[in-house]
Amino acid sequence: MALTAVFFYLFATLAVASAAMVIVAKNPVHAVLFLILVFFNAAGLFVLLNAEFLAMLLVIVYVGAVAVLFLFVVMMLDVDFAELRAGFIKNAPIGVIVGGVVLAELIALFVARGAGPVTTAVKGSPVPSGVSNTEALGLIIYTKYVFFFQAAGLILLVAMIGAIVLTLQHRKAVRRQSIPVQVARTPANAMAVVKVAPGETGMPAEPKGQG
Amino acid sequence: METGIWEIGIGHYLTVAACLLTLGMFGIFLNRKNVIIILMSVELMLLAVNINLVAFAHFSGDLVGQVFALFILTVAAAETAIGLAIIVVYYRNRGSIAVEDINMMKG
Amino acid sequence: MTEAATYAPIYPELVLAIGAMALLMFGAFTRETDDNAQLGGWLAIVILAVAAGMILAQPAETVTVFNGAFIVDPFGRFMKLLMLAGSAFAILMSHGYFKRHRALKFELPVLILLGTVGMSMMISAGDFIALYLGVELHSLVSYVLAAIRRDDVRASEAGLKYFVLGALSSGMLLYGASLIYGFTGTTSLAGIAAAIPPGGVPSLGIIIGLVFLLAGMAFKVAAVPFHMWSPDVYEGSPTPITAFFAAAGKVAAVALLTRVVIAGFPNAVAQWQQIIVFAAIGSMLLGAFAAIGQTNLKRLMAYSSIGHVGFMLVGLAAANADGVAGILIYMAIYLAMTLGVFAVILAMRREEGMVEDIYELAGLAQTDLKMAAVLGVLLFSLAGVPPLAGFFAKWYVLAPAVKAGLGWLAIIGVLASVVSAFYYLRIIKIMFFDDPKPAFEKSDAALVFVMGASVIFTLVFVIWPGPSILDAANAAAVTLKF
Repeated sequence: MALTAVFFYLFATLAVASAAMVIVAKNPVHAVLFLILVFFNAAGLFVLLNAEFLAMLLVIVYVGAVAVLFLFVVMMLDVDFAELRAGFIKNAPIGVIVGGVVLAELIALFVARGAGPVTTAVKGSPVPSGVSNTEALGLIIYTKYVFFFQAAGLILLVAMIGAIVLTLQHRKAVRRQSIPVQVARTPANAMAVVKVAPGETGMPAEPKGQG
Repeated sequence: METGIWEIGIGHYLTVAACLLTLGMFGIFLNRKNVIIILMSVELMLLAVNINLVAFAHFSGDLVGQVFALFILTVAAAETAIGLAIIVVYYRNRGSIAVEDINMMKG
Repeated sequence: MTEAATYAPIYPELVLAIGAMALLMFGAFTRETDDNAQLGGWLAIVILAVAAGMILAQPAETVTVFNGAFIVDPFGRFMKLLMLAGSAFAILMSHGYFKRHRALKFELPVLILLGTVGMSMMISAGDFIALYLGVELHSLVSYVLAAIRRDDVRASEAGLKYFVLGALSSGMLLYGASLIYGFTGTTSLAGIAAAIPPGGVPSLGIIIGLVFLLAGMAFKVAAVPFHMWSPDVYEGSPTPITAFFAAAGKVAAVALLTRVVIAGFPNAVAQWQQIIVFAAIGSMLLGAFAAIGQTNLKRLMAYSSIGHVGFMLVGLAAANADGVAGILIYMAIYLAMTLGVFAVILAMRREEGMVEDIYELAGLAQTDLKMAAVLGVLLFSLAGVPPLAGFFAKWYVLAPAVKAGLGWLAIIGVLASVVSAFYYLRIIKIMFFDDPKPAFEKSDAALVFVMGASVIFTLVFVIWPGPSILDAANAAAVTLKF
């Protein structure tokens, strides 16, 4: 029990401290790296809560994809980040007030436990015994929750269409290599035998074929 | 349930989540100009929600919370992709990603 | 009953989703020409019409599928028909606009169809997970659509603002949903309603969750104090897209809010009523006063729609079947008026481009009497002048509020509507009494059709569609649980 508690405090402290660093870091690359640290520690918390599948997902999807996407954009856009921090101090007081009030209320709520009992009477899908976390999730998301699964698929489709429609640029000036055209070339259509009469240049009127 | 500092109850997890949520909101106020940091702050808020859900699911022996968290993770990834695409479009037009630069329209 | 027949209630959504994917394939495998893009738009309208026909054919009873996650009831069917009409008219009006701006894309109708699936999920949501997925499907489509004219600075700015504030609101909505899940042990609306005992006070955790949840949904309907995104987004987005947000998006968000508080929290009325009343007062007053200084018509319509949402919230605050029927009627009338006004805004086009300022309408009565008359009627109706449709809209939400003992709220509503009449009448004065500016170019047939349909609906509402819509709304409202 004590070991769980030690790990809880380790993960929790690191997660909150790294989250704080995300929002105050001067360099956005550092902010992304701290975000990765937050996600790793949150994954640790998930493992303590017996949610191994979600923990792995957090590491793979967030650290592997989302955080890297952030890094790509940070490095792709040539942004003057010092200029972006100009309003930082000016906005700090109102941020502290808003954040402080919300946090104080929520912590008072949870620590004082005036929030009411956590009901255990109704269970949408009780945890089955004898199967791993991943298997338990797999047993319900394709059956009982297939509706949500399909809807999530549509959301990913929208994300794909959206990202393409917003950022894909067809550059007309760029000449791309076309493998089918190159492969389809035969001596018959790539070469022309021209009979050159004495005294003429022998250049065909228009060059045929390309690539 | 609520005995001593070495007994980790649901209140502990909810407190961590509340801290992350507040930091996320705080980050949005603090970095009003930098959209990329705002996006990361939104990710922090969603992570707080996920910790809440998984903790509730664990302590009530239910899987619905984990399923909810699973779909939030999926959607959050899609949302980030769209958000970064919009940032790229905005940057191509303005040469900057500062939100307060937005003075084409009076707020 | 066969396996497939159990899913009959969700067939319209399946048609929309599969239609969207088929259209995507059509766009991807045909040449990228304007004609093909427009053909895609027409096909999308056909798909929407088919889905609407299937919804009309559904039996008038409450059915749930997927363990209560998807509810089909007369309330949902009423709202879905309005929402489908909003989407179809937005596509119809988009052709001319995007063609002229050389931005016709086949992805536009595909995205609108997918957004429509999301809105359908919102309207039918019986579970927080379905609610969240529906909201996000619709929101992601909206962010992209706002920025779809990607070479336009104002559009990409609108997309960015919409995205940042929308993501923040989703976060708040989810945090609320997670707390409610934790303290009731379930994510389904029916389960939550059962977990709060009647007559008792819900636990503090549930109340805090409810506050976060309502804040998130107030963002989506653009009610005060979470309205600030809407003027900027309405102004910056391409006009047909703004019409899509103001018409279809508004229907879905209001339907969602109504269902969640009425079906999910019937035993916590005292708690949510205070919040809804506060949002209603704020929205009505802001809609009345902030619009006075606006000269951009799209911005003005944003404030106007904030005001109208305030009136709908008055009906919700009444917390009874009459109030909900009022919301349904208000939504139908608001949809018709809004689409008409946006058709007029889209017709404000000169050789040098689109204009949006109200002073560009100066002397319209002399250059184009028909258009001036259309806009005049619609503005009188928006202001709530009898016997136009807009008057009945306000009547059917304010009367139940008075009956529910919220007479003072109704008085604030009447006062706000008097103040807002000022800026509507100012536009009429500009159109009829100022010196004329150069005439607008001839409008597209589609716009003329929308204007005509909208103005006829507004004028004859009392005689023909009014009574039958009233009956349908009353029948639909009682199917939400009270």
